[in-house]
Amino acid sequence: MREIFTMWRHTQMVVLTALSAAIYAATLIPTQFLPIIPGFTNVRPANVFPFVFGLLFGPAGAWGAAIGNLINDFFGTLGPGSIGGFIGNFFLGYIPYKIWSSFFRRGEDIEPNVATRKKLLVFGAIVVLASIVCADWIAWFNDALGLVPFAALGSIIAVNNALAGLILGPIFMVLLYPRVKRWGLLWTEIMPADEVSAPRLPRLGNVLLWIGGVGGFVVGLAIGLGVYDQGFAAAGFASGGAQGIGIGAGLVPFLILIVVGSLLLGGREQVEAAGEEGGELGPVRPSRVR
Amino acid sequence: MNLEVDEGEFVVIMGPSGAGKSTLCVSLNGLVPHFFRGKMEGEVRVRGRSTREARVGELAREVGMVFQDFEAQLFSTNVALEVAFGPENFAVDREEIARRVADALEQVHLEGYEDRQPATLSGGEKQRLAIASVLAIAPRILCLDEPTTDLDPVGKMGIFQIARALREREDVTLVVVEHETEETLEADRIVVLSGGRVVADRPAREVLRDVDLLHRARVMPLQVARFFKERGVPREELPLTPEEGAREFRRRGWRVSQDGYGELLATDRSRVARYGEPVVEVEGLCHRYPGGVAALEDVDLTVRRGEFLVVAGQNGSGKTTLVKHFNGLLEPTSGSVRVNGGETRRQGMLELGQKVGYVFQNPDHQIFSDTVFDEVAFGPRVRGMKEGEVRERVEEALAAVGLEGREKEDPFGMTKGERQRVAVASVLSIRPEVLILDEPTTGLDYAEQRSMMDLVKKLNEDGATIIIVTHSMWVTAEYGHRVVVMKEGRVALSGPVREVFAREEMLRSFALRPPHIVSMSNLLGHTVLSVEEMHRVTEAG
Amino acid sequence: MDPFLYLDRGTIVHRLDPRTKMILLLGAFVLAFVFPSPAYGVVVLALVLLAGWLARALSNLRRIWFVLLMIAIVTTVLWSIFGSGRTPLFWFVKEEALLYGLGVACKLDTMIIAGMIFLSTTRNEEIANGLVRVGVPYRFAFAVSTAIRLVPTILATGATISQAQRSRGLDLDSGSILQRVRKRLPLLVPVFVSTIRSTNVFSMALESKGFGAGERRTYFMQFSMGRRDAFALAVLALVLAAAFALRIMGHGGIEGFSR
Repeated sequence: MREIFTMWRHTQMVVLTALSAAIYAATLIPTQFLPIIPGFTNVRPANVFPFVFGLLFGPAGAWGAAIGNLINDFFGTLGPGSIGGFIGNFFLGYIPYKIWSSFFRRGEDIEPNVATRKKLLVFGAIVVLASIVCADWIAWFNDALGLVPFAALGSIIAVNNALAGLILGPIFMVLLYPRVKRWGLLWTEIMPADEVSAPRLPRLGNVLLWIGGVGGFVVGLAIGLGVYDQGFAAAGFASGGAQGIGIGAGLVPFLILIVVGSLLLGGREQVEAAGEEGGELGPVRPSRVR
Repeated sequence: MNLEVDEGEFVVIMGPSGAGKSTLCVSLNGLVPHFFRGKMEGEVRVRGRSTREARVGELAREVGMVFQDFEAQLFSTNVALEVAFGPENFAVDREEIARRVADALEQVHLEGYEDRQPATLSGGEKQRLAIASVLAIAPRILCLDEPTTDLDPVGKMGIFQIARALREREDVTLVVVEHETEETLEADRIVVLSGGRVVADRPAREVLRDVDLLHRARVMPLQVARFFKERGVPREELPLTPEEGAREFRRRGWRVSQDGYGELLATDRSRVARYGEPVVEVEGLCHRYPGGVAALEDVDLTVRRGEFLVVAGQNGSGKTTLVKHFNGLLEPTSGSVRVNGGETRRQGMLELGQKVGYVFQNPDHQIFSDTVFDEVAFGPRVRGMKEGEVRERVEEALAAVGLEGREKEDPFGMTKGERQRVAVASVLSIRPEVLILDEPTTGLDYAEQRSMMDLVKKLNEDGATIIIVTHSMWVTAEYGHRVVVMKEGRVALSGPVREVFAREEMLRSFALRPPHIVSMSNLLGHTVLSVEEMHRVTEAG
Repeated sequence: MDPFLYLDRGTIVHRLDPRTKMILLLGAFVLAFVFPSPAYGVVVLALVLLAGWLARALSNLRRIWFVLLMIAIVTTVLWSIFGSGRTPLFWFVKEEALLYGLGVACKLDTMIIAGMIFLSTTRNEEIANGLVRVGVPYRFAFAVSTAIRLVPTILATGATISQAQRSRGLDLDSGSILQRVRKRLPLLVPVFVSTIRSTNVFSMALESKGFGAGERRTYFMQFSMGRRDAFALAVLALVLAAAFALRIMGHGGIEGFSR
């Protein structure tokens, strides 16, 4: 959690945030998109970017995804739903880099690329998890406000993001990782270790994220599809005023699990691993602005 | 590296790509060592203060830095805010900022632009805006890293005028990295770098007379100086400008040989006779962009097979819009464009792309594969060719551009010149008959530019029809057969290069200036297009 | 190409302080939520459209009408399916659910139009500056405003890249969904690369102009709240008060609806 605040001291991170946001916002504009539900959502290849930004740029990628989605709303669909979109897309970029190293054992190479088969599988898993978590946040928010039913929006967002991430993600990582590394722009090489939170219980954090993410999604679908309908109607939600308490309250425990899980994860270990690589580039890091 | 610059001096830094010019610049304001990795030995002192001890933010008050890539330096939503950014960071108070903004904009001739969005400005205006945004900080030292690359001739002149005015007005110390030798006559000193070292540090005119030094440093020598040196004139007496050259030519009693000149004209004519049938025919072409802006009005043009056509003109004159019609990227709003006899409207881009290859200005706008092979193979593969044929074509294309054996390399690890060649190869692999190149020499040093243009010339000699869009006048003179000058969407001038360059007055009205050797020959009553040609027609009295 | 909605019209709404405009936008969102019933929802929508007319921003509706329409249709259909109530209408759809769906459609469209009005009357730099004035840290607001500023540039780059790749034979419109997504690669990769490549130059340029040089920073652009703003805020307060009052008294609800 700490690095999402300390990153702002570094000019390059600020710039990466702005650039990521701009790329995301610009490429989301449907120049040629493939509609699933016109007006609501479509297969958006640009949705691959948050995963890539997150893994390569760390917190700058997370903020960039969130801001980028918000700016994209500036082109026509600014509304309270944008808050949900902000949070959801933040997690889309946040989870990849936070959870990355918790899949590996001590001593394994944890550079953020897909160079081995294991890394490729981990990447796929992360894409799925992050897509679901993003869907949880956005669909929960919109349902709690009584705007869009969780089941509909949640599934669409999850599938949308996962498709883009799984189809385009690996090849993007293959093409972009070496270049970003060459330019010295990996977040692990810009930020110093002491500004990044240390892992507390990473395996547990990993598991909690899965439970919170997938569990929340399943429960949300169940409530939305009426499995608990009888019970709630009987409990007296007969007037039109009480909206979405079902999903609204029902999902909160899972969302809490997600947040707690992410707090248990770290990030510092990746920075330290990158530092050991060092090499001819040397240990001097770009200046920290006060 | 050892270097000293006195207050108020105007120093120009020259050298080949990779010589360390940009690194020198960023050492002046502390970016080295604070921003870059690596080790710095020795010391840089700016007005007595060591850059190691001060932070970049503090040094920024003293040393204003304008980088080459003006796009990447502009980030505000309007011009006034862009210029105000610097002083804001130094907590200058509001009224003072307002004063400085107005002042800075005036110095760069952008008064009245306060509310414009930077994205809507032309290249030259953007570069001037970048300068203004640094001037507003009121630094005593101004460092400009290749401020005129990518600019059209008007833009270039504008920058140097500003530099001149700055010196006169403010007594600012100027350090400018520059390729354009013709503009460096104004400097006090020229420092030549190569391989990270200073290889010359002498008064400007002295360096400009040392033609061999400039050659070794892969910098284009002044054509007039080079001509006289190659005829044996001693260094101290070498003229530098066309006027000086013409005077010296007459003083020595040399003459332009009519026979020699006649031969040049005959070569031109026989070349024209070898052209084939028309390959691109444009009649009454008009193009209007969706917003209603008329980009082209009533353009007529014929390009014959085997020609080497140059399309010139200021930014916004319509030259790129014109050539984009030839491969189907744009369709005429009215009028006709025919390629190989068929209307472009009726042929798809895939079909047209087979005949007309288009190489875009910035190779990074095309490259997406992680190996040179895959990049060059893209065109053939997309057309469904079998791997065997694909391999053959890739090898052929790479050989043509001089990159054979480098199939497995990552294009992004290569230099800009090499990436440009990869971009050309990836178009050549489709084997088009016509090749369009948009600004093929931008961002390259002199040696790389020659190398690229010689490659294009060879392709032309092997039968390809070449159309290039360029600002570079010497490239137009030495390589082009015919030139079309666009102005405000219309064809303003068209004809063989030799004829068009003879009309200097007219060219000036389009803000174009022929290269120095051409001007010199015009002063002597004939039009010669290169130093070699000048030699061929000179008779010692 | 300008994807932004800002229209330089100089109306009274334009001249409000950006913070006032932000508050008005939030107020519009809150107002939209007060009444579930579509009958009342339409009235709220009309109020917002009135504000839009005052701001001469309604011409921008031309750009988003399709989204508004689709949202309205899809929302109504979704809630008709997922909601339930007492009065059957046809098939399994209940009347209350349909009404609820229509009400939500009104809400969504109202809020989006309010957002559109905000964006039509507020320059990008006002948004950034306004954020700083309400306490958002400078560097964050800087990232937001820079991102906003860069979008048209990246779009232009994207268009050039698209032309370059199409010139090489890339055909974006054919193939299955999977193939078409894959074909975006030669577009998206160069956009990413050519943009991210400029990070270092950009960062250097920022630091060379003193970014982060000191703790304190002045701002060239300035606004102040005036009488106009007080008036606008007062109107908002009145409208909200009236709406809440009506709701508390029991109007504007949908009886018998449940989720």
